[in-house]
Order: sequence, then C-alpha cells, then structure tokens
Amino acid sequence: MADKDLKTKWNLTPGGWNLEGVPAYQDEKRFTQVGRSVPRVDGPVKVKGEAVYTGDMILPGMVYGKIKRSTYAHAIIKKIDYSKALELPGVLAVITGEEAPNKWGIVPQAANETVLAIGKVRFYGEGVAAVAAVDEETAEAALELIEVEYEPLPVLLDPFESMARAGEVLIHEDSPKNILHEGEQVYGDIDKAFAECEYVLEREFHTNYPQHGFLEPQTALASYDPQSGQMHLWASTQIPHYLHRQLSIVLEIPMNKIRVTLPAIGGGFGGKGEASIAEFVASLLSRKIGRPVSVTFERNEVFFTNKGRHPCHMKVKMGLDKEGYIKAIDFDNTLDKGAYSGWGMVVLFYTASMLHLPYEVPNVRFRGRSVYTNKPSTGAMRGLGGVQPRWALECIMDELAEVMGISPYELKMKNAIESSHTCINNMFVPHSEYKKCLETAVEKSGFLEKHGKLPFGKGIGIAGGYYISGTAYTLYQNYKPHTSVMIRVDTEAGVTLMCAAADIGQGCNTVMAQMVAEELGVHYEDVHVQSGDTEIGAFDLGSFASRLTYASGAAIKMACVEINQKIKETAAGMLGVRADQLVLKNREVYSMYETKKRIPWEKVVEAYTSINGSLVGLGNFSPPRRKGIDIVTGNRVQGANIGHSPTFGFSAQVHEVEVDVETGRIYVKKVTEAGDCGTPVNPMSVDGQVEGSIMFNLGACLYEDQKLDANGKHLNPNFHDYKTPTTMEMPEMDTNIVESYDHTAPFGVKETGEGAVQPTFPAITNAIYDAIGVRFYNLPITPEMVLKALKEKKAVEASSK
Amino acid sequence: MFLNHFEYFAPKTSRETLELVSRLGNKAKILAGGTDLMVLMKAKAISPEYLIDINGVEEFKGIVCEEGKGAVIGANTKLAEIQFSEELKAKYPALAYAAGEVGSSQVRHMASLGGNTCNASPAADTPIPLVALGTKVVINSLSGERELLLEDFIQNVRKTNLAEGEMLTNFILPEPVPQSACRYTYMGRRDAMEIDIVNMAVNIELETDGETIKNVKLVMGSVYPRPLVSKEVPPLLIGQKLSEALIEKAAEAAQGEAKPIDDIRASAEYRREIVKVLARRLLKETYDAAKGV
Ligand SMILES: Cc1cc2nc3c(=O)[nH]c(=O)nc-3n(C[C@H](O)[C@H](O)[C@H](O)COP(=O)(O)OP(=O)(O)OC[C@H]3O[C@@H](n4cnc5c(N)ncnc54)[C@H](O)[C@@H]3O)c2cc1C
Repeated sequence: MADKDLKTKWNLTPGGWNLEGVPAYQDEKRFTQVGRSVPRVDGPVKVKGEAVYTGDMILPGMVYGKIKRSTYAHAIIKKIDYSKALELPGVLAVITGEEAPNKWGIVPQAANETVLAIGKVRFYGEGVAAVAAVDEETAEAALELIEVEYEPLPVLLDPFESMARAGEVLIHEDSPKNILHEGEQVYGDIDKAFAECEYVLEREFHTNYPQHGFLEPQTALASYDPQSGQMHLWASTQIPHYLHRQLSIVLEIPMNKIRVTLPAIGGGFGGKGEASIAEFVASLLSRKIGRPVSVTFERNEVFFTNKGRHPCHMKVKMGLDKEGYIKAIDFDNTLDKGAYSGWGMVVLFYTASMLHLPYEVPNVRFRGRSVYTNKPSTGAMRGLGGVQPRWALECIMDELAEVMGISPYELKMKNAIESSHTCINNMFVPHSEYKKCLETAVEKSGFLEKHGKLPFGKGIGIAGGYYISGTAYTLYQNYKPHTSVMIRVDTEAGVTLMCAAADIGQGCNTVMAQMVAEELGVHYEDVHVQSGDTEIGAFDLGSFASRLTYASGAAIKMACVEINQKIKETAAGMLGVRADQLVLKNREVYSMYETKKRIPWEKVVEAYTSINGSLVGLGNFSPPRRKGIDIVTGNRVQGANIGHSPTFGFSAQVHEVEVDVETGRIYVKKVTEAGDCGTPVNPMSVDGQVEGSIMFNLGACLYEDQKLDANGKHLNPNFHDYKTPTTMEMPEMDTNIVESYDHTAPFGVKETGEGAVQPTFPAITNAIYDAIGVRFYNLPITPEMVLKALKEKKAVEASSK
Repeated sequence: MFLNHFEYFAPKTSRETLELVSRLGNKAKILAGGTDLMVLMKAKAISPEYLIDINGVEEFKGIVCEEGKGAVIGANTKLAEIQFSEELKAKYPALAYAAGEVGSSQVRHMASLGGNTCNASPAADTPIPLVALGTKVVINSLSGERELLLEDFIQNVRKTNLAEGEMLTNFILPEPVPQSACRYTYMGRRDAMEIDIVNMAVNIELETDGETIKNVKLVMGSVYPRPLVSKEVPPLLIGQKLSEALIEKAAEAAQGEAKPIDDIRASAEYRREIVKVLARRLLKETYDAAKGV
C-alpha cells in the first residue's frame, strides 16, 4: 500500500501515526500498553535458568571447534605444521587462514580481517589455526600439537609510536602511515571565533582501554548440510544481518543459503556488534566435515579478540564569549584502533559529531585519526564514539564555569539546545528535553546547595550528554528500509510479530510486544514475538546505535495500519457503525461516539479470518536522510552524515563522591539522574537501562582497563584481574524519567540504552575535583593516582606558602 | 581449561583419609572446597594424579567454641559457617569478619578455613587474624599428631610446613585474655571478589589499668611471601598508652618492615603507603576496642 493511500484513508503521517491536536478520545498519547512497567517476556525462563543459550545447544553428531592463538603480538608466520594434530584420534579437521582468505569487517570499505591470520599476526591471541574434534578436550589437546614458527616483528602498542615508526614497521602493508583513516571537518571560522572569545581553555584528555564485560562469551553453532548446501548458524550476536552478510562473503555462499538464528543472548554492549571468529570458524569447520560444530570462547579469548572501547588521546580547546555562550570548539583526536579496522572509521567520525550536541556550537574544527597498533582491535562499546569526547567536553566546561565564576549548571543551561534544533553539520534534533533533565537532576540532588560547599574529601559533580536513536545509514551503500516487520493475526496463534531484531538482553522483545499490543488494541501478554532469525523474521539491521525501539516501533505502526483497517471494516459491518469512528483498545472494538456499540476484538478476528484466512500486515522503517554539509556554506563535509539520527535521547547526572584521602579510594555514594527517553515504553526497563549504564561507566571510569606487557601480551585477561565494580560498589540511585514526547517518533519514543552512559565519566571526574581540588585527565582514576595527585598538590601548596 | 586425568577418592573417616594421604604422598592433593585447587588445575599449574576429597569426612568439619576454652575449628569448616557463627563473632570478631570478606557468597560456601591456610597465598584473608590470635594448627599423619603455631606453618608463597603423608586437621584458637581485642582490616580496589592489596590484623592486650599496652601483635598480609609478624611494633608500644605520636611511629615501623612487590593489582610504593594507613587506623580501632569504648 502506498503512503499516499494511507494518508487519505486514515489521516496518518507517512510513518503511520495520528496527528496532534485531536480530542481526548482520539489522543494518540492515551496509551494502555505502552508506558506500562511490565515484566520482561524473557524474564521467567532466565530466572529459572531455563533459557537456552547457544552454548546449551547440542545437535545430533555435533563436535567441537577450538582456535589456536598467536603467542606474538606482531610476527611473520613462517610455517604452520598441524600434521601431528591431525593424527590425534578424535581430531576431524584442522583449518588455517588460507582456507578462507576473503576479508571481513563491518565497514566494507575498510574490511581487512581474515578469519585466521594469513602470513602474519598483528595482535597477541590472534587466531592462526582451528581444530574440530569429537570433544573439547581432544580439540584442546590438538591445539598443543600444532606447531607454528614465527619471526617476531617490532610490537607497536602506542598510537603515537605507531605513527612515528611507520617508516620502519608497517602493521598493514596498505596503510603506509599505520593509519586506518584520518579526517578533518571544519565548520565556520574557528580562528576568528577564538579571537573574539573572552574565555578560552585548552586541555588534553586520555581515555583507557576497557571492555564490555558481557557474561556470555562469544559462542556459535554451525550446521552445514552438504546435500542442500544450506548453512544454519546459531550465534550470540547483536547483528544477525551484518553477520549474515559477512558469512556470505567469507564462505562464498549466497545469503539465501545461510540462516542465522539467535538463541538467548547474555549481553553484548557493542562487543557482539561485529562478527566473531567463533562464528566463521564454526561455519568453516562444519562445511569441511559435514557435521554440526560448536565453538565457545573461553573468557581469555573474549579479551584477546576484544572490540572494546577505543582509547582516545584528545586535545580540546573551547572558547566562550563574555556571557558564556560557546563560540568555538577545536578538537583533535587520536584513536587507538588496535590491529584491525572493524567499526574504526565510523567511531572516528562519531567522535566528531558528538561535538555538536547537546549545546549549540557555531564554529567547530575536528581533526582525527584512527591509528593501527598491535593490540586486540577496538570496536563498538556502549555509547560508541560519544563517551570519550563527552568526558573531555563536560570536564572542560566544568573548568570554564569555574574560570567564569558561575555554576557549571548555569553554563550548561545557557548553551543547551532545544527542540527543532539544526546543528551546523546539518544534524537535526526534532525534540529535546535536555534542559528539563538538567533542572530535574540539579533540583533533586540539591546540587546548587552542595557544589563547592562540601567538606574536603566529599564532592558533587554534574554532567550531561545525549545519544542517537538509530543511525541514518547502513554501513554498506544501500538505502533499503532499516527494519521490516511482519505481523500475523488469526485465531490459531493470536498475534505474532515476526522480525529479525536481536534481543541481546536489553529487552526489545518485551517493548515490541507492548508496541504491537498498543497499536492493535490488545494486551502485551497477547503478543508472541518471533525475533532474531533471518529466515523467520523480516529484515532488521541489528541491535546497535540504540535504534530498535524507534525503528521497530515505526515499522510496527505501519504493519498495524493494514491489519487495523481490516479489523475496523469487519467490525463496522458487525456493529453497524462507520469504520473510521472505531477505536481498538483493551481487546475491544468500539465506536468512539456511541461507546455502547462494542465487540470483543477476538470476535472480529474470528469473523474476518473465517472468510479471508489469516491477517498479515507488513511494515518497514527508513530513517530520514539528510546531507552531511556545513549548513552555512552548504559545502559537503567528509563524514558529517555520521551521527545523524531520527531523534536523540538526553541525560543529566549528578554524582556525589567521597574520597578516602589516605588510601585514595573513591566511593560514588549517590547518583541523581534525569533522562529524556521520549515515551518510556516500559519504565521499569528504562530504570534498568539507566542504572546499568551508570554502573557500566562507573566501572570504566574508576576500575576497568586492559593491561598489556611490553610484548603486547595480556596481563589481565580474566575477571579476576580485570576489575569491574560489583553490587557492593553500586551507589544509591535516583533515576528520573522527565516528561517528554517526540511527536515525530512512533509512540513518542527515543533511546535510553546509551544516552545515560555519556555523563558518567565527567560527572564523577567533576565530583572528584569538587572533593579534593584535583582535576584528572587520564582514565581510569585509580587510588594510586589520587594519592599521587594529593601529594603533588600538598607540595605545591607548601612551596607557595 | 580441562583438568588432567586423575583418580578420585572420597574417604569417609579420618583414618581412611590419612591412609590415602600416606600411601599416595605428593602425587595426591586434598580436595576441600576446591576454590583454589580447581583454578590451579584448570590453568594446568598443577596436575595431581590423585584427588582425595575430604568433604565426606565429618571429623574435619565444625566449630567447638566453649566458654573459657578458646575454640577448635575443623580444617574443612566452610568460611560461610565461620562468618555466620554467633560464638565466633562474639569471641573472635576479627576472624569472623575476615572469613566474611573472602570472595563472594558462593565462594565462601565452598571454601574452607584449612584450604585458605594450606593454599599459602600471601594475600589470603583468614591466616592474618588467625596468626594475630596466636592460633596453632594440628597436623596429622598415620604416625601421629603434632601442633605448630600457624605463623611457623606458612613458610612461603604456596609453601607450608606439611611433610609428605601429613595433612591439616584442626585450628586451635587460644581463649582471648581479658582486656584484649583483635581486629582485621584490608584494602582492595573494590569491596567484593577482591584479592587484597594489603591486609592486616592487630591484637592488643591491656594492663589492668585498662590503658597501658601489655602485649601487641601486628600481622600484615600481601606485603611479604607469608604473613609478616611485626617485630618492631611491640617494643614501641608495650608499656605505653597509645597516643597519636605513638600510632604514627608504630605505623611507620610497620611500613618499614613491609616488603611488598609490584604487580597488576598495585605498585609496591602504593602498598607501602597503605600499610601505614591501615596500621594507623587499625591500631586505634583495636586499642579502643580493648579499652571497651
Ligand atoms: C572467585 C574467588 C575469589 C576468591 N577470593 C578470595 C579472597 O577474597 N580471599 C582469600 O583469602 N581467598 C580467596 N579465594 C581463594 C580461596 O577461595 C580460598 O583460599 C579458600 O579458603 C580455599 O579453600 P578451599 O577449601 O576451596 O581449598 P582447596 O582449593 O580445596 O584447597 C586449596 C589447597 O589446600 C590444600 N588443602 C586443603 N585442605 C587441606 C588440608 N586439610 N590439609 C592439607 N592440605 C589441604 C589443597 O590440596 C590445595 O592445595 C578466592 C577464590 C576464588 C575462586
């Protein structure tokens, strides 16, 4: 059905929802299912331990795969001899890199990873061979029998060293400067702007090398049928589609001969936002031996293959005019890419786009480069590209407010954007309650009464942030809809939503059930969700960029239009009223004017299907497309469309800390958060996401860091030595959902899973400054750093007396 | 991550256990909670040919805590039991507290007091208060029984005084003297699942005046290959009433004795700094407790 037809018949927007300015009985915001704190549809089986994860699955004839990993961070592979491994009873096959030479990578323009290393290894723990054997023990024993001869190369672990020594050592032959990509974006005239500024500060910030810490390690089970040439892969992934696509490239099998299915998934946070070697190896081995092959990473393999957050080395200069309005930002960022490209180019330009919100900035210069090093690759991690620049910017604003002699709250309120804002890079923000977030967090925490007034060792800090609610582009050149859904209604299965969205634990299956129920006028308990399967479900781009609630919501709305129209027409005949005056709510169909005229929804479905058979609705969603330009000059700017999104979520946080000035330990005691997530579809889930977000980055701010020795070998590839905070470190939390409704969004929704990670680093850092008068520019902020800084401060104070 | 192949024994009595220990010698390992043993075996750091699971032997478990008679704790008593024992909490709060700070709830329900000692990790929690309390261990073999002060039992990293054919069966804790108190503290990056950066116990006994220190024992962990009993602190404090100046002096003395190393968890320099902080705080806390304030 064309959009045009929908509009004339039902007076709906192209996305398929009602317009504003309607009487209460037609009010689109009078939800019954959306906005309800309902238990997760996947909750009971997970609590009972009955959820089936990929690693729980056993197929008839299934065998096990294991990966032999490099013991050098940078070396030429001279020879691999696996003859002894093949002789071990129970070993079925061994593969090496040459078996699958096609390069994979989520950004196809830069794809440069092979399943197993070919000719050279570029990080410690890189896969060099893989074994299939009848049991895991035999597979592990076989790995020991594979002999690999290496010729070590110099190991480059620091991006600056990597650039400096590029003349002498190259990590990738086709990247002559050891740089994956470098870019510059200039908007306005920053030199002129800085010259006119009253307050200018320049600082350097360095972030750390944390990892996601999801509980379920990467796991894959592949079953190849030699008869039909069909591959079925069960995998713990966030991106069934991109995985599907890359499997097709690596295996040289058409996509329609590959099916990707997601069992229960134990978290991802971006780490499963790229294909995993486990998936390729399981598939290759299964094809080779014609039996199902299961591959589960050990925890150290999760660390070896990493794809965690990029360490960023940022030089930031910010200028304000006399009144405190931000006039210019000059930002220079060197990102540590690790060994392979992955999401690299995208992350580089996300750090650029983050400069334009949530404050109005008329002049911006970004210069950045993503640099290869001999470390496990960095990739996507909750709040991709935002967390590092947000930390730098919110900290520098804290300093600038101090220089100006005003509260950081005042400075933020002054510069915060409002709804219908167009950034200088043409990024459009349809709706923002950011100011309300700031106000709420400040009011509820008593920030103004406490800031600067607490005793030495206690402090309070504030920061804000935002994140996208989906992206505007696919990662490969294509403008197809980002999400398609199919809804089936009949008397046999009730309501079933079929899609390929990936519920990785974030709860999208529950939220989608609520949205389908809302739109059809039934209850969320009535909706079955079939998701995470590329064969059963219609197309979906994946779980990343906080896109699902918005994208699925829009597609669901569209799919329901068709179904509701038929339900209404059928009911109209049964009730003798006009179809366009019918309301679908609470499992009933009734006239909005003569409310006595009503009939159970189920009865209508029965009537319809007994004549026509099952009802099916299709819906899809394509994000709005805008040019990446400088809106003043109209000139195209490289990478400027990265960061565009249909809408944006916002968060403000106030953190209260106590610093033990003798041991240096930092205790975050209380966090007051206020978030603009549009309509909270499931408020309980929003609270969970926000609390989880805060703990996630509290960890990376104060504890988490992957450490390597001088040879690039991991020192802490386990949860024993890689320290995440525990529930003991969880502060008291007061999370608030501010009143917000984005009229351009389905059900008024926005993201909530990544916006709330943004303010955590700077709010803690600023609170530490308030507590002990020391500003930190390196992460994580450890007790040792605190003690050292306090000693230095004492020495300076003593000498100035 | 696979264990080597081993033969598994599950004796029911202490006699059966001792026979196995005697017969299998160094090729066998005793399996108590397994929270250290399994980790080492999975990492292939050790590959014993035999495991002797002592969890079926009732004689190795339990707490006997009688008024005026100290306490006897079986080697295979779970740390959770020690943590929650009302009797131990009243008489030996330092031990109950230390037991409750080990790992996580799951770990404490598996881990035993004997395992914590026999594993001989320099960072272990419970040996520190046990040494401060003057605990003796009971060592059994087919040929008999001997007793030894715990501070002499743990000799080095993963090395104890156990001879081939011997095992640990009991801990004997002396009755605390009147006007005394023992306290435990530690420093880590986080408050659960932590391997301590430094830990420490102090035991103070006062003269009848309730102020003058008659005896003091300060024990440090994670700063030496085995629990380190301070030699310098007692002469500084015995016969004195504790003052801020004395606390500072004693803390510095302890700091000087500590010989920590740099590792992934903390630098030696930081550890030394923390020894001083903990000593200062713990001496004061223990002194106040002994005074009854
Ligand atoms: C996740 C985790 C967290 C931990 N956190 C802490 C912590 O915070 N603090 C801490 O101190 N420890 C910690 N540990 C270490 C461990 O839990 C303790 O050392 C525990 O007390 C060991 O007891 P067990 O009964 O499990 O010993 P086992 O593993 O069964 O045995 C340990 C060693 O002692 C030997 N052994 C055991 N009993 C006897 C006996 N009666 N006679 C002779 N030899 C014996 C065994 O053969 C073995 O060599 C942690 C371990 C894990 C896995």
